Amino acid sequence: MRVLVGGVAYPDLCDYSIGIEVQERLSGRDAPANVVVEDLSYNPIAIIQRLQDEQPETRFDRIVVISAVKRGDGPAGTVRAYRWDGGLPADEEIQRMVTDAVTGIIALENTLVIARYFKALPDDVVVVEVEPETHEFGAALSSEVAAAFDDICDLVWSLATDDRASDQLPMGSLVLTAVPAFRFG
Amino acid sequence: MCFKNLPVEFDASGKPFLRNGVGDPYATATATPPEGPRQLTSDKIEDLLKRNGHIKNVDYDPVTRVAGALAFHTVADFENRKIIEARSVATLFRGYEVIMIGRDPRDAIYITSRACGVCGGVHSTCSALAIEMAIGCCPPPLGVLIRNLALALEFLYDHPLHLHLLAGPDYSQVIVEPTNPSLYARATTTEAHHTAIHGYRTIADLMTDLNPLTGKLYLEALHMTRVAREAYVLICGKYPHPQTIVPGGMSSTINLTVMNEMFVRLSQFFDYSKKLALIWDDITTFFYEANPEYKKVGARRANMIDTGIFDHPDAYDATYENCNEWGNRRWATPGAIVDGKLVTTDLKTINIGLEEFVEHSYYEDWTGEGQQQHFATDPSGNPLSPYHPWNKVTRPRPQGQNWKEKYTWDTTPRWDRQAMEGGAYARLWNSAVAQKMPDSPFIESTGHSLKLRMPAGALPETELEWHVPEVWNAFERNRARAYCMAFTTLIAFEQWRGAMERLKDGDTKTSTKFEIPKRGTQQGVGFWGAGRGYLTHHLTLDRGAVSNYQIVTPSSWNASPTDRWGQPGPYEEAVLNTPLLEESNDPAKFRGLDVLRAIRSFDPCMPCTTHIQSEGGLITREVNTCACGLDD
Repeated sequence: MRVLVGGVAYPDLCDYSIGIEVQERLSGRDAPANVVVEDLSYNPIAIIQRLQDEQPETRFDRIVVISAVKRGDGPAGTVRAYRWDGGLPADEEIQRMVTDAVTGIIALENTLVIARYFKALPDDVVVVEVEPETHEFGAALSSEVAAAFDDICDLVWSLATDDRASDQLPMGSLVLTAVPAFRFG
Repeated sequence: MCFKNLPVEFDASGKPFLRNGVGDPYATATATPPEGPRQLTSDKIEDLLKRNGHIKNVDYDPVTRVAGALAFHTVADFENRKIIEARSVATLFRGYEVIMIGRDPRDAIYITSRACGVCGGVHSTCSALAIEMAIGCCPPPLGVLIRNLALALEFLYDHPLHLHLLAGPDYSQVIVEPTNPSLYARATTTEAHHTAIHGYRTIADLMTDLNPLTGKLYLEALHMTRVAREAYVLICGKYPHPQTIVPGGMSSTINLTVMNEMFVRLSQFFDYSKKLALIWDDITTFFYEANPEYKKVGARRANMIDTGIFDHPDAYDATYENCNEWGNRRWATPGAIVDGKLVTTDLKTINIGLEEFVEHSYYEDWTGEGQQQHFATDPSGNPLSPYHPWNKVTRPRPQGQNWKEKYTWDTTPRWDRQAMEGGAYARLWNSAVAQKMPDSPFIESTGHSLKLRMPAGALPETELEWHVPEVWNAFERNRARAYCMAFTTLIAFEQWRGAMERLKDGDTKTSTKFEIPKRGTQQGVGFWGAGRGYLTHHLTLDRGAVSNYQIVTPSSWNASPTDRWGQPGPYEEAVLNTPLLEESNDPAKFRGLDVLRAIRSFDPCMPCTTHIQSEGGLITREVNTCACGLDD
């Protein structure tokens, strides 16, 4: 089983950079031969094309992605891990996401939804969300997220390297926000 | 006479001067633009809304399928099927100019790149040019050629993206069939003129492949953005934020391997460009023939501005003093077009005619009593307005939205006090008319058209010809952008050929060493272009640090609000002229398609947001990379 692990984030945005921070930490670990740790924080379309470039025999069987997601239902540093149910929004919303992607928006939901739509993802997608607090320019994580950082890295690592750990996760959905086209006043 | 409104005249040697006897040359009343399109007053609109049930507010918030955050307010008269009020709203603040204050100028190359998630490279390059001018540093010829090549490749990412991912769906089967069923029925029986090149027998076939997500043209555009991106990173290291653009050239290592890898990708655009141009020819012809009213969609006066782009390595010397000369030798000619006539190609004249106003923008004016104008003239002694970017101070002042007062984060750039638009098409138009392009076996400027001789690929060698259009509207913007693919491909090919010649001669130097002066004040301006058109970065250095930095982008011009004279901005004017041509009379079924076609034809690219603390409080906490656009 080949596993790809990566973070989706912008750099230097405090807690919102957690995906990159974790990915960089894990890049320093000795990974088993079947686990690839890689930057997934770039153009979602390019990521899809990169995944599609894999030969059939080297396609990834599981992808573990980590990102900051503000759900507001827990304190900063709360970690939610789930196997993505693969639910896709309406086509118009996917179009909007493609527009965002090709014009520079890097986001967890864009990356996964577009990749799923274009059949670039394996069935097994594990999402690790971290509830962020600080959304400012800067390298520092908030104290709450910083306190959880080592545990987050260990969790992501176990989900990448231990099949039983990921199998035990619940199914879950992404946070998707629909945007109206226009309104009558 | 070049300037019709500003009191600037030219002496016998062509040097500009302020007309004698004008007391306050840049006062609002001194230089008033002529009669032209004006917005109705908000009071009049409110009265019409109260008295007429068929007149309704229709707000597009956000405008989808554009880069970044744009909202658009209209008042639609459904009985007369027209728009009677149009307001363009940049909903987010960017603030790069504020971020730049006090920094080492080299930071600008990396920071301003983040203004855009598509065309970061043009901002980096524009910064590099402004710094080169300020510090007196000129790149070597190969550096100029490689810089040109890199940025042309960026445009080859940008244009297909707009044509077939953003604007294209407006002409697709899934959108045209429900809004205009009889038009779509006609498309099913209308044969395309250029089947031999693009392969589509009927216009309906073509429309089907423009369908978003599933259409072959949509998917092909996604693929071609990859080809361009791969070629780009061979030079620039990363996309969209290059790592190799420096003052004085490029830090890339260029060798035959890189050039060969590049050609493998560039050559794929020979055929693709032929297809694109002729697809958009066929779309335009079909709509015009089906209903001539489509010529009014997005129509406005042909008022355009462009700084030109792609320097000639033997001409560019990075000085302001000689910018008219090196500007006129660019591969895309600079120019200002007023009512369809090219009035200048001189960069200094373009520069001194530029002003920015903030009457309807969330900023404070920086002129007036007690305020000091930093520069009364440009470095050549030509008069400058207090509203010129070199004199501008960015003072954000967030407040409530009010059509009578302030309603957007965009400023109001004007040239000779007129609403100009920027776009790839302005670069095409100037180059076609001016006949100043470098000699090329592939590109010919005829004075009324551009002939583009596309090399053979799988398709045979093909001569395309873009003609200056008789009308200026949404269709012509898209058509011109499609031809700009061919134009840009050939320019990239010419840079590649030029670079290969240099390499063959053993010339591998791509940059010139430089130092940032630690004393005195220096000025520079980057005259460059985004895929979407006009781009300038005006820079002032004081003791080695940035003391002022001002960016004007194509969307600064295009999305600008109504100005102090009541002249609507280009989006606004184009929408005010747009008839509502959807076939249903039921407002509940109204989709605003023609309004959106008008807006999207400009290829809007709106601002990113960032963290900016003003005196009025925190402006926004959202942070994204993406989307060039508005200047503040």
